[in-house]
Parts: sequence; structure tokens; C-alpha cells
Amino acid sequence: MSLLDKLSTIPERLDVIVQSGHDPFNVTISDVKSATQVVIDGRDVIMAGSNNYLGLTFDPDCIKAGQQALSALGTGTTGSRIANGTYDGHQDLEQRIAAMMGCTAALVYPSGYQANLGVIAALASRDDTILIDADCHACIYDGCLMSGATIVRFRHNSPEDLDRRLQQLGGEGSNKLIIVEGLYSMFGDTAPLKEFVAVKKKHGAFLYVDEAHSLGVFGENGRGLAEQQGVSQDIDFIVGTFSKSLGSIGGFCVSNHPEFAYMKFTSRPYMFTASISPATIGTVITAIEKIRTHPELREKLWSNARRLHDGLKNAGLKLCAPASPIVSVELPDQESAIIGWNRLLEAGIYVNLAIPPGTPNSKSLLRSSISAAHDHDQIDQIVAAFQKVITLSNSLTANQATQEETIV
Amino acid sequence: MMSQKTDDLVFYKTCDLLKPYNKKNISLTMETDIATELEIDSVAVLDLIMEIEDIYAISIPMNLMADIRTIGNLVQAIHDLGGNK
Repeated sequence: MSLLDKLSTIPERLDVIVQSGHDPFNVTISDVKSATQVVIDGRDVIMAGSNNYLGLTFDPDCIKAGQQALSALGTGTTGSRIANGTYDGHQDLEQRIAAMMGCTAALVYPSGYQANLGVIAALASRDDTILIDADCHACIYDGCLMSGATIVRFRHNSPEDLDRRLQQLGGEGSNKLIIVEGLYSMFGDTAPLKEFVAVKKKHGAFLYVDEAHSLGVFGENGRGLAEQQGVSQDIDFIVGTFSKSLGSIGGFCVSNHPEFAYMKFTSRPYMFTASISPATIGTVITAIEKIRTHPELREKLWSNARRLHDGLKNAGLKLCAPASPIVSVELPDQESAIIGWNRLLEAGIYVNLAIPPGTPNSKSLLRSSISAAHDHDQIDQIVAAFQKVITLSNSLTANQATQEETIV
Repeated sequence: MMSQKTDDLVFYKTCDLLKPYNKKNISLTMETDIATELEIDSVAVLDLIMEIEDIYAISIPMNLMADIRTIGNLVQAIHDLGGNK
């Protein structure tokens, strides 16, 4: 087998996906009119598949802070944190994110993906064991592999299965690190963190929570799901991202363990990559301030989330989880999901197409995510389009089935 | 001789679990390559492993996955982890 042979099967798989119309993995946005409106193929489309939960991407104060930093400090740092890439702003941002999360220290990375890679690989090593929730994001898997630790997967959202596996592994020997997420990006379901904390304590393990989708979405101060469930102090490490509710780019980890801050000397994706730009720092610091001073954004987000969830549920669609800003509709198979996704785009609605192997349990989903910036009219348009399109694609699939039966 | 028999039981059970994934209905042997011949995607393999873990009350670390290519490799891993008891 030649080096490139493993890529040669891709066009075949892609052809199947693209034959129904657009290439869902190559959508190009030519203009962005607002936090909820974009232009695709020259047409106005409602964005219902971003992670712009609080709609801050066009916040005038965030934009202004970014512009000021850009003018004052230039386009980029052109250096890594351990060399010339640490400005006052990087230190300031780390202090602010730690304060926001109620922790003593924070490390900032250029993306959420790198934060997970960097922290997991620096925390765990060959003699340790990591137990990960089966539905964890790809970057958590990659971080685990980079660490060289023994990796054990437990059933999604099952503290019982985690407990059983920890029991099997025995209390002696290696350190145990448990990794879960807050709000899961595909189904939009949340972790039972209280129960996971109890299992962690029982076995003397460490608990690591990725709040990528839940930061700014849950909790009185927008700290995330751990805050909402009242267990923030029992989580050893919280990772998050600036690229969702904060509307920018970057990632972080916070902790109260005194040794944590030294990770800046051992975490390779922290040390050996260029630091985030001054403009990015400006927008993130302002967005953190927005979360603190504008709790009504979170209220609006949840009211929108419930409107979308209830609308789709009443339309008879099969939803994957209780109401949350991520609302995923389950389709019977990949083909109908692809057809449905195309019809929605033609109707002026962009959602995410999620198909195996990118989804848990090999499900095919049309995933929408809602923003505080959507208005009721847009949400009603999304619901109406789903209703029309899914009914149509169901009947198409049904027709196809009848035809096939006739042929047989 | 005894261990050969035990191995066989694990092999038959594993083939049973692989049945739903065997869409082309190929005949399963110890040499069958799980990813390429059965065309099971990476996540589905992990889910299958989880079912096996439940049945035999073992944990197969993901680190071993790189070395498990054939049904025979999988049966051997179950055996090594004490899953034939």
C-alpha cells in the first residue's frame, strides 16, 4: 500500500454524500451579515449551525476592543509564550479567565483543541490511567493518545459504568484521571457531574471537565455546567474555549491545584506554538466582561433554545436530548439526513450535517445550535423549514422503499 | 488442548457479536481483518469493544487497539486480559 492510498477512498465516500446536491463539508460563506445571517452561494441564509451561543461575534464593544489592540500592538505576536509571545494582555487574560472561573490559575492556548491536547498530555503519562466518556470529542482522544497513558473508555454519561471499571482497575498502582464534557456537542445532552464527582471521590481519582459548549451557557456566573450543578470546587481541571459563547478563538484550562501553573513549562502545545494575537485577546477580555455584566444574554439564549426545541418537538421530529442550545434531530439514515440537509439549505437555513463515524452510536443527525442573537421570527422559520423538509424527505425515503420493494 | 477449546469459545462469541456488522456476509476466521474486510468504522469498533468488555467484565485499553487488526488478535487480547474465565 502506498503512503497516499489511504486517502484514495475519500472521493468515493464523498461522491455518495455530494450526489444529493451541495458538499456539506465544503460550504463556503461569502459574507457574514450578522451573528445569525450569512451569505452562501449568493443567497441569504439563517445560521443555525454555529456555536455563537451568546451572539457576541458582532458585539460593538468586542469589535472595538479588538480594533484598538490591533492598531496598538499589531497583527500578531510572531512568537511562542516561552519566548517573545507573552504580552501584558496574555497575562491579563489568564488572570481574568481564572477569576471568572473562580480558580487560582489559568493557561491560555491558541484553540480549545490545543488546550485539550496540551493539558491532557502534560497531566498524564505512561504510568497513569485515563478513563474517558465514550462520547468525548476527538481532541480529548488525541490528547489521551499523546500522553502515552493507558486509556479506558466508559459508557456515555454512566457513573455506574465508570465506577465498575475503576473497581476492576483496582485502587493500587497508577493515578486515575476521569475526563468528561459538560454539554455534548452532537446530541446536546449534559453530564451528571454530581454523580461523577461522587465516583471520583470514592476512588481517589482526578476529574477533568471540558466545558467547551457549556461555558457562558450554564451557571449563575456563566462558568458552565459544574457551576450549575454546584460542584465547581470538586472538579480538578476545567477546560474551555473562546470560540463558542465568547465569539473569538482560543482555549484555556483552569485549576486550583498549586502545581498546575508549572504546566506552562511542560505542556508542549502551550510552549511551542505562537501565542494568540492582541486583537483576539481584546475581544475575549471584553466578551468575558459581557458575560459578567449581561446575564440577560443567557436568559435570551435559553428562551430561544426552548422555543426551537418545543417547535421541532411539536412538529413531530425525533430529538436527541432535553432542551438546550444544541438541538439535534435524528434521521433514520445517512441518506435521508443528507437529503434533508440539502433541502434546508435550499430553504435558507444552515444546520450541521452530522453522520457516522463523526457521531455517537452511528446516528445520522441534523444538528442546529441556537444563539441569543436569533429573533423569534428566525426560529419560527427554522421550525417551519424543518417541518416541510423532513416530511418531504420522509416521504421520499418511503417512496424509495416502496419502489425497491416493487422491484424485489 | 484445554486452552485451545477456551479460545474457540471466545472466538465463536466474538463472531456472534460481529454478525450485525458483517454486511457482506463474508465467512469469519481468526485471520479476518476487522477494519478492512468487515469495513467497520473506527467508532463502531470502539462500541463493539465495549460490548465485549461488558460480557467478559474486562477493560481493553484503547492503546491495545493499534495492535488488534484481526479477529484472532481480538480473541487473543480477551484471553490475555483474563476474559475467558
